[in-house]
Amino acid sequence: MKSIKTNLILLLIAVWGLSSTVNAQSDLQISKAFEQYGQRNGVVMVELTDEALGDYDFALFRSLTITNNPTAADFIRKCLTRDEVGARKVKQVVTNGVPTTVYLQLPRKGKLYRLILFNETNKQEHKVTLIYIESETDSEDILKFILKKK
Amino acid sequence: MKWNNIQTMSYDEADALLERYYDGLTTGEEEKRLRLFLSQPVLPARFEPEQAIFGYFHTSKAKLVFSIRPYMRWAGGVAALLLLTVGLQWFAHSVRATNYAWVNGNRITNTADIKREALASIGDVSAGNEIQQSLDNVSGHEIMEQQLEVFSELEK
Repeated sequence: MKSIKTNLILLLIAVWGLSSTVNAQSDLQISKAFEQYGQRNGVVMVELTDEALGDYDFALFRSLTITNNPTAADFIRKCLTRDEVGARKVKQVVTNGVPTTVYLQLPRKGKLYRLILFNETNKQEHKVTLIYIESETDSEDILKFILKKK
Repeated sequence: MKWNNIQTMSYDEADALLERYYDGLTTGEEEKRLRLFLSQPVLPARFEPEQAIFGYFHTSKAKLVFSIRPYMRWAGGVAALLLLTVGLQWFAHSVRATNYAWVNGNRITNTADIKREALASIGDVSAGNEIQQSLDNVSGHEIMEQQLEVFSELEK
């Protein structure tokens, strides 16, 4: 009985150790969009870890830019409806009843601020952009940096 | 006459008192003296029963010996697990801490190129100038013109 208890405790500690290796994004639905579309033709996917962009340090920066794929945009929107639960909607633009721009500020994970940015445009070509950011910098400051980049 | 070490009383005197004790003839004071005598650590073996009676029997108390051996197995398991956890964390971090980009199915690892693509995506996501468009649409000048046009048609 004692050995069973000991083994159980050790197993729990191992599970905790394994689970802590999983990053903060894996609980989000948008991770599926990166998995599904990231390596396709007509898609640019970027992942940066512990890098600086501009004046800001990002613990994690992931972006997905998909051209001429409206289905992908619908898929990402569905993911966002799940991920926006509990999040603060910083910005939303709805065009013809469909959200085309969504900025979400997610609950923090430890000391990391998290943001999801989504935009769909149809000017010269149909383009969908999805960005996920984790940073120790305040989300407000990151958004100022993002919005300055036009 | 043999004297004990503390010199409370001699062994012969102790024997005599013990006889009186067993006969129930000892006074309180005598029993006190007997108790004091029997509290000595070194006494002839013949006094051991009386020492037991009076609560001073020399019992060898088990020495408290702390042994680490029972804990070594447990500690070894915990240490191995901690090592495994730290190793997994390091591995996951090293796997995660790589910068890359996929462009049309081709992997890029040049950090400068990757950052360029990252900045381009930031530009794309912030490209919407819907706010300015909305403000333009409701500019006062246009509204006034539209309203005046209604009246000018009425006059025709």
